[in-house]
Amino acid sequence: MRFQDAARDARAVVYASVQADPLVARAAEALVLANTAGRVLARAVMNGETTDADGWRVAFPTLFGPDASPEVRTHAQEVLAVSLAVADRGDQVRSQLRGAIVEELTERLLARRAPASEVRRERRILFDGVRAEIHPYDVTVEADGRAEAYDCKWGARGINGEVMLQLDAARANAAAEDERLAVALVIFDARRSCLVRLARQTAPLGATGLVSIETLNRMAAGPPQPLKA
Amino acid sequence: MVTVSQLLGRARVAYEALGVLGEEIQDEWQYVTDLGRVWLAELDRVAAARADEQATPGAQAAVDRLIDEIERISDPHRAIDWLSTFPQAVLLALGPGPVSPPAAAAPASPA
Repeated sequence: MRFQDAARDARAVVYASVQADPLVARAAEALVLANTAGRVLARAVMNGETTDADGWRVAFPTLFGPDASPEVRTHAQEVLAVSLAVADRGDQVRSQLRGAIVEELTERLLARRAPASEVRRERRILFDGVRAEIHPYDVTVEADGRAEAYDCKWGARGINGEVMLQLDAARANAAAEDERLAVALVIFDARRSCLVRLARQTAPLGATGLVSIETLNRMAAGPPQPLKA
Repeated sequence: MVTVSQLLGRARVAYEALGVLGEEIQDEWQYVTDLGRVWLAELDRVAAARADEQATPGAQAAVDRLIDEIERISDPHRAIDWLSTFPQAVLLALGPGPVSPPAAAAPASPA
């Protein structure tokens, strides 16, 4: 098993410019520090509809209400500000930014426990005698004997059979080479909604981990447990 | 003052209308239907468990604001995003209350 940079095709070039948008890094920085309510606020605002900051403060009393600590309120204010800046973009750009933000957030959470040199983006995984997948993995941890591969999505709706098959095939191919590769989905959405989506998938699920909006911080502690652990 | 149950009743009505909008995306009809069934069951469970509890003014204002947000939506794709986000935001606004919610369980596999 070995890792390789994704081809610099037209898609990669366009997407690299999205990833480099300063809003992506700013949002990821705010979300790394956010609690679950702060992350749900970000998802709600970036879903896009109204951009009235006062209205959003009313909608999240645990972050902005009288019982919220000054620290929580201050931090939530940054989450709100950057989320509104994303929401203010057009539909297509907003959609691209949201995906890039989840990837950047994943990278930063993984970098809490893995050396920066081991946490990579947009990488393919190659196996002897196996045709390489076209689509690269969003985030990988390339550590000897304990590699990890993550596919990141804004919402549970993004979960599909193709993604599940690719993740499971990579894990199985690694196992065939006596390598360990933990694979997981990172979904910036409610766990309950992810499980609803997964329940209808016919692709193998059991060995794949699931990180949802409520459990993002656990990535900083270790690879996610497989769904059927 | 309204009870948590009454407040969730209002949220339920708005959520059901959002589901009807999401169903316009035919390829996602099954997902929208599954999502609605699971989240409505959770809202109903919390409403029953906290039936007589008075909603705080903050929670009431928050849920009303969230209802207003989803009632503005006309794009069915955006509706699907909100079918997941709305109930989670509503339950966060209510706070944990005296009964802790159970961990999200996997729905039964389709037949």
